[in-house]
Amino acid sequence: MTSERNEIRATLREKFPRDRGQLLPALHFLQHEFGYLPDWAMEVVGWHLGIPASEVYGAATSYTELRFERPGEHVLRVCTGLSCWINGSDEITGAVKGELEVQPGGELTNGRVTFEETPCGFVCAMAPVVEWDGKWQGRANADSVLALIRGGAEI
Amino acid sequence: MATSPTETLGKLKQAARERWNSNQAGKTRVVVQVGHCSQAVGAREVSDSLASSLPDNAYLTIAGCDGACFAAPQVLISTGDGGRTRIAHARPEATVAHLSGAPNGAEVADGQAQAFFERQRRVSLNRCGELDSTDAGDYILAGGYAGLARALSMPPEEVIEEVKASGLRGRGGAYFPAALKWEGARKVEAESRYLVVNSEEGEPGVFKDRHLMEGVPHRILEGAIIAGYASGVKRAYIYINAEANLSAERVQKAVDDAAELGLVGDHILGSGYSLNVEILRGAGGYVCGEETTILNTLEGYRREPRLRPPFPTEAGLWAKPTIINNAETLANVPFILANGAAAFSKIGKGEASGTKIVSLSGSVQRPGVAEVPLGTTLREIITDIGGGPPAGHTLIGVAVGGPSSGVFPTSMLDTPIAPGRLHDTGIMLGAGGVIALDERSNVLDVVRRLAAYNAKESCGKCTPCREGTPRIVDAIDRLISGSGSSGDLDELRYLSEVVSLASLCGLGQAAGTPINSALHFFGDEMAALATSS
Repeated sequence: MTSERNEIRATLREKFPRDRGQLLPALHFLQHEFGYLPDWAMEVVGWHLGIPASEVYGAATSYTELRFERPGEHVLRVCTGLSCWINGSDEITGAVKGELEVQPGGELTNGRVTFEETPCGFVCAMAPVVEWDGKWQGRANADSVLALIRGGAEI
Repeated sequence: MATSPTETLGKLKQAARERWNSNQAGKTRVVVQVGHCSQAVGAREVSDSLASSLPDNAYLTIAGCDGACFAAPQVLISTGDGGRTRIAHARPEATVAHLSGAPNGAEVADGQAQAFFERQRRVSLNRCGELDSTDAGDYILAGGYAGLARALSMPPEEVIEEVKASGLRGRGGAYFPAALKWEGARKVEAESRYLVVNSEEGEPGVFKDRHLMEGVPHRILEGAIIAGYASGVKRAYIYINAEANLSAERVQKAVDDAAELGLVGDHILGSGYSLNVEILRGAGGYVCGEETTILNTLEGYRREPRLRPPFPTEAGLWAKPTIINNAETLANVPFILANGAAAFSKIGKGEASGTKIVSLSGSVQRPGVAEVPLGTTLREIITDIGGGPPAGHTLIGVAVGGPSSGVFPTSMLDTPIAPGRLHDTGIMLGAGGVIALDERSNVLDVVRRLAAYNAKESCGKCTPCREGTPRIVDAIDRLISGSGSSGDLDELRYLSEVVSLASLCGLGQAAGTPINSALHFFGDEMAALATSS
């Protein structure tokens, strides 16, 4: 862990000037590296930018696109916006919930797939849409999404 | 100055033309529209497959999408002899076969496209989907940067006057006169000023800035440089939604190319004006599009709005005068400078000059991004452009302007779109989201979704918004579950008013609007629910 911290410190020094305005870019960078923001990584960002860890945490958790829990191997997000809903997103979420098991704390997963709902994917003209590992898929339906989950779980 | 900006631009245009003559003239142009939306239905697979199997007499162009999302992925083919074909729902093999002249199943869909485009008036989206979005030369050959060249040969104050005369208002949803922000910031004595291009686009149901950034990134950039020149800015930030990766990639390429051509950086087009442009990414949340929240994000703080005054034009980013303009607003500016204020102000209706890009989705046969003159009615947008609901479905209303706005019944479809409020209940055009609703939905559920979104997105800074928005949802839930009473209707009215009056930013101030519009237009249905238990 210590060496990983030092490595990240060195990378941050290289990439990000010591300026508070770099907070969001640095957090994005780390989320991209790890798939989420581990607590220790946020501490390192704080050291680098001269911001108390509590403030880094406070700012970071106010942004909805940043993650603080390690996601599963695959991340499935189903859009539940108005257009997607009218075009059948409920059937998709229903099918997904039937496929995955509810974990303590409410998280849905089959061990490999993390499932989330998102209020809008901004792909409304392709409704209903789902996002699989960062890639949007339009004109989706329950079967195409179940195929993703089952295929993804076998890989 | 040895050469004027216009002459310098002329040289760039000449160079682009020579390059075109030697590489592309006489060949078949195959445009694949690759955008955030079309990528979700296979556009990238089409462009990849064409890249490796194009006939010798053809060249591949990657454009953004033209907004006819219903037909995506689309391929536009223009042959050297002027023939044009639009392939809808393109598939890799069928498109390749079509190009080689073999009979195939490629779907040529000009009729649908014609109906979709006929009533549109494209200013900011002009030639979006045709131009190579990764090539500054293509934009310059199409007349790009002419507005900038003209602006640079005028005193900044005259540029402000020209844009003022055009009547251009902010297209992000607030519709504040754009040139007044420039003037305001210019008037403040300061050693530095900033321009922030707001491309956060976090309003559910809106996807037009992505189309602009992916299709005509240079037009936004040109508008930003003109705005920067007019207001005396030396540094501009283009703030792009955290998830809009393709947009960020295309805008970054546009900025890099422009820098290489002398359109960004020091002495733009050989003039005395210099501007540095940097791209920054958001990190999610509806409130992030709120202009003072953007300032907090850029400075590394929580996503919360700031108290106004001071307004950003007085003390914004790092307490310096800061102009925050929406990407669509800026994409209109090159047209105004190139063609004059009068050419712009005669588009639209009366005071509401120009066009608005609407993001049309929901229950329509032709969902997509359409640019229409202000004053166009919702009926024209939904029926003429969108083709109305799919067969077998019946329209019951339309949600306009996202979670800060509300729902119109079908009896109000002849309402023209206008800057700001469309109705006394507070329904507004906002950023231009238009979602057609049919019998598969019901209004109370729609309002519940809008209200739940506001509750979730409330940043928590103002207590009335933080505490009030969830209680609005609770009251709606009681009505939906059949356990509601007339007291819940009173509570909804009361909470809507309190949240609107006592919140700092637009999110809270407008959080009651979906409720107000529903009580006004669908009051009988709601009252029936309230007394049914």
